[in-house]
Amino acid sequence: MMGCGIDIGSRTTKLALYDSVKQKMVAREIMDSQLDRGNQVEKLLDRALKTAGCVRKDIQKVVGTGYGRESVSLVDETVTEITCHARGVLHFMPGARTIIEIGGQDSKVTKLSAEGKIRDFAMNDRCAAGTGRFLEVVAKLLDVDIRAMGKAASRSKNPAKINSTCVVFAESEIIGLLSKKTPRSEIIAGVQNSIVSRVMGLAGRNLETPAVFTGGVALVEGMAARFEKKSGIKIRVSRQPQFTGALGAAILAAEGT
Amino acid sequence: MAENKSRGKSPLPYFEKMVTNCLGYAKKAKKDGKPVVGIFCEYTPRELIMAAGAVPVCMCGGSEETISAAEEDLPSNLCPLIKSSYGFAKLKWNPFLEMADLLIAETTCDGKKKMYELLSKSKEIYVLEMTQKSDDRESFNHWKEEIVKLKKFLEKKFKVSITADKLRQAIRTMNRERKLRKGIAELAAEKPPLISGCNVLLAKSLISGIPKDFEMYERLTGAVKKQAKQNGEKFNGLIRVLLTGVPLPHEAEKVMKIIENSGGVVVAQESCTGLKPLEEGVSEKGDPVTAIAEKYFHLPCSCMTPNKRRFDLLDRLIGKYAPEVVVELIWQACHTYNIEAFLVQAHIEKKHKLPYLKLETDYSPSDSARLKVRIQALLEIAKNK
Repeated sequence: MMGCGIDIGSRTTKLALYDSVKQKMVAREIMDSQLDRGNQVEKLLDRALKTAGCVRKDIQKVVGTGYGRESVSLVDETVTEITCHARGVLHFMPGARTIIEIGGQDSKVTKLSAEGKIRDFAMNDRCAAGTGRFLEVVAKLLDVDIRAMGKAASRSKNPAKINSTCVVFAESEIIGLLSKKTPRSEIIAGVQNSIVSRVMGLAGRNLETPAVFTGGVALVEGMAARFEKKSGIKIRVSRQPQFTGALGAAILAAEGT
Repeated sequence: MAENKSRGKSPLPYFEKMVTNCLGYAKKAKKDGKPVVGIFCEYTPRELIMAAGAVPVCMCGGSEETISAAEEDLPSNLCPLIKSSYGFAKLKWNPFLEMADLLIAETTCDGKKKMYELLSKSKEIYVLEMTQKSDDRESFNHWKEEIVKLKKFLEKKFKVSITADKLRQAIRTMNRERKLRKGIAELAAEKPPLISGCNVLLAKSLISGIPKDFEMYERLTGAVKKQAKQNGEKFNGLIRVLLTGVPLPHEAEKVMKIIENSGGVVVAQESCTGLKPLEEGVSEKGDPVTAIAEKYFHLPCSCMTPNKRRFDLLDRLIGKYAPEVVVELIWQACHTYNIEAFLVQAHIEKKHKLPYLKLETDYSPSDSARLKVRIQALLEIAKNK
């Protein structure tokens, strides 16, 4: 039984194929989100089918999730990214109790019971602070590749304090820091700390372990360590953090939801 | 959630024209020499207004369109209900407000209290002082005194005598109205429910005591019960939701619509536009003024402290309507409900073990996607239990 999961995010669209017999993700594709979502999803699906060596008929069901989940006709059923990321993370890490997910434009903290059921969730989708967007803005400002940012921040000894809670105003603050010759590594570390603070505000206290960090921002080196420092608990980065949403959707599709 | 709305079968189309119906009624009343009195709160005793021979009309604003005008005078960081109501007055867009001979205000929350001061520049307002301690004898006595004072004021203003008989007549009318409206709400207690929350909310009126409304409430209950099997089938498999928190005035049904478009059905609405004012009637025994004072004093709004009666009400509603999840709606800047939500969440989770979601929003449609993902996630939690 093959399930297809599509996570249509604000920045990237991910597609996963899950084989419920082999119990694994057999294909995954990602593309920057485009306006013509329908067309884009078709392309992603064709690529994934080629990788998996299957045809469309093999797919039992398509579950859509993410910001754009309602807008693609290929999708049979929509499920929120909260439920999908939880399912995807549990596939890689059964027994996970806390999920911290930071995407391009939002961040979420989900708390699970010992039986793997969602107990509670909190989201920030109103403000860019605490999301990948903040890192993107800073990468552009510092003329650094976002994938190299984590490494640059790892050299930090004294992270800069970013006072603004708003990304737009933080930008001005960073320009001020640059003019005072503050090293890039300290600025990036300061931004990472800001994001962590913001998301920890969502999470509240008494976070249960195992805690897992997922979403595109989990790929940025050093973020998990900063979360550990702030929260006082061990935080593991999920496997395939960009794909846990699409994978969760694909698993739900294969299971027939 | 489309229900059977064809004429002759269900009176829902009548309620869709509610504002027009009320306008016709109010205009005729004015022609017949009856004054129109605007109110803004379920604490304001409509019985007193009716016993004075006047027509009580709810002035609570539910439209986003009047808010930017209101924000020229009021701060934007304020409850949308307060802003909208004020905006209607400023723009002169509420025909009931324009024809009102008097407005009755109440000292419930901070925002309303001060908004009335601004409003009083353009319209005569009588302020009722609602006390704050819900379990204090002196508080109650003061509230009762306020009702006695209001009675005297209405008698003087409208040159009438509010006799005990007139009060008892008004009490009977209002008790009947509460009973009929509660009867409609109770159709959703069935498993599966026989009516959607949106339609329960639709079956209401800005004006109390309109005989035609009563006839239609009865007709609606009868029509829904007659088609019970077909009606129930529509709601099979939907998650039962209790909606609590702030009221949803006419045109501010956004959150209820999102819930019912996402796989849920609101089986009970605890707020002031739902069951809260309908639960307790006015006693038809003894002194009518005391009876009125008592019923209204018991209304469990978050502006009272402590608000134990609200938790008792929530317990009764959960027992009767069997929701699977609880959604609490808080209008932005409503501090009393927002702070009380902390206690409500603890109560719902610990005593009833139900998933709970708090939503803070305003009248703008711009955050519908954000609300929908949270509501949908909550319903998924219930589905996967």
